[in-house]
Amino acid sequence: MSETPETILNVNDNEAARYATTRILHRAGFKVLEAGTGSEALQITREDLPPLVILDINLPDVSGVEVCRRIKTDPATASTMVLQMSATNIAVIDRVNALAAGADSFLVEPVEPEELEAVSRALLRLHRSEAALRRSLAERELLLKEVNHRVKNSLQLVLSMLSLQGHRFKDPETRELFTKAISRVTAIAAIHERLYQDADPLTVEMHTYLTGLCAELVRASGMEENAQASLQIDVEQMRLPTEHGVAVALVVNELVMNALKHAQPTSGPAIINVRLVRHGSGQVRLSVADNGATPEQTSSEVAGLGTQLIRMLARQLNGTVSIERNAGTYAVHVTFPLQSAVSWRQPY
Amino acid sequence: MAATILIVEDQVLIAWHLSDLVEGAGHRVLAIARDPAEAMEAASRERPDFALMDIRLHGGTSGLEAARMLFECWGVRSIYISANLDPSTRAQAEQLQALGFVGKPFLPAEVIAAIDRAVKTVVPL
Repeated sequence: MSETPETILNVNDNEAARYATTRILHRAGFKVLEAGTGSEALQITREDLPPLVILDINLPDVSGVEVCRRIKTDPATASTMVLQMSATNIAVIDRVNALAAGADSFLVEPVEPEELEAVSRALLRLHRSEAALRRSLAERELLLKEVNHRVKNSLQLVLSMLSLQGHRFKDPETRELFTKAISRVTAIAAIHERLYQDADPLTVEMHTYLTGLCAELVRASGMEENAQASLQIDVEQMRLPTEHGVAVALVVNELVMNALKHAQPTSGPAIINVRLVRHGSGQVRLSVADNGATPEQTSSEVAGLGTQLIRMLARQLNGTVSIERNAGTYAVHVTFPLQSAVSWRQPY
Repeated sequence: MAATILIVEDQVLIAWHLSDLVEGAGHRVLAIARDPAEAMEAASRERPDFALMDIRLHGGTSGLEAARMLFECWGVRSIYISANLDPSTRAQAEQLQALGFVGKPFLPAEVIAAIDRAVKTVVPL
C-alpha cells in the first residue's frame, strides 16, 4: 500500500501483552503508538489524534473505562474509535459498563491475531466513514450559510432599490402606490432576518416579527413625528408556521396601512390597535382596530388590491374575516386555526 | 443632536439607502467607504461619531477588521448592519464595544432606532 499506514494507540500496562498486540498490529501494516498508563493514553490521544485506541481495561492510574469515557466526552477526541480489551475473568457487567462509557467494541483476551486485525480494520473503516460524513455535513452547513446570506442580501438589495426609486416620484398617487408596494415587500422580506438564526427555522415568533413591522409602518407613514397616530401592539408570544406568519404579517400590513390612511378621529390622535391572541380552543384571532370615525365604507367600496389580498390571505390561513363597527371604532378580525408546524428537531 | 456618521458598505445601493435614512433622521454622512482602507482614510480626515458597519466588504475584506481599526485608532464604535450576524461575529463586535446590531434585510425603523440609541450613547450633549 502506498497510503500512509493508519495509526493505532495500544494502551496496556503489561509490557508483554502490549508487545504482543503491537506485533500483531505492525504485521498487519499499522503504525503503532504505545502507552502504559491512562493519563499517558489521554495525552497521546489528544496530541496525535489516532483514529483507533486499543485500551486495556486494567490500568494502574485511571481505569480503562474512565479513559474511554474521557476520550468520548472531549469534543476534540470524541470521534476516536475505542476498542476495549480485557482478560478472560472480567464480569459481563464490566463489559457492559465499558460499552456504556462509549467503547465501540470489546474483545476478551486471549484474542487470535486475525480477529484483532479484523476488528481493528472494521473500526477504522467506521472511523473513515464517520469522518467523511462529518466533512460532508460541515460542507452543507457552510453552503446553507452562504445561501442564507445571499437570500438575505438579495432581499436587502431589492428593498434598497425600491426605496431609492420611490423618492423619484413626484406625483403623490404614484408615490403612495410605490410606498404600498415597498411595505408589502418589506413584510415578506423581514421574516428572513429572523428565520435562520433561530433554533427553529420552520416557525416564526410573531411578537418580534409584528412589532418590528408595525414600527416600520408608523415610520414610513411619517405620522410619528407629528403625533397624528399611535400604534398599540398587543401580540402574544407565539410561534406560527412560517407560511402562516408571512400571511398574518401581510394582513397586518394591509389593515394598518388602511387605518393609518383612513383613521380620522373627531378629536385627538388616531389610535390603532394590533392584537394577535389565542382565541378559543386552537384558534388565533388577529384584530386591527382604530378609533377613527371611519367613513361609511363597506368592504366592496374598498375593494382595492388590499382588500383582495386580505381575503386571499385569510383563505390561505383557513380563517374567516369579520368586521365590527361600534361607535367611534372600527375593527377587522381574522380568526384562524392555530396549526403546529412540522417539528424541526425530533427529540432523541 | 446631529451626528456625523461613517457608512462602511460595499454595495452601493444599500449604502445610498442607508445614507438616505441617516440624512432623513437629521444626521450627516461623513463618507461611504467600501473597505477597511477607505474607512480609515475617511476617518483620518474627519472623525465620525460612529460608523454603520457591514461585515462582508469589498474584495473579501472584513467589516470587523475595519471596526477594529476605527476603534483602536480613534475609539470610533460601530453599529453592525449585516446579513451575517452569527454568535461569533457578535462576540467579536462586542469586544469593540458594539453600539448595536441590525440584521439584513433591515427595517428602516430598526436602523433609525439603532442610530438614535447610538447618538444618545456617544454624542455628548
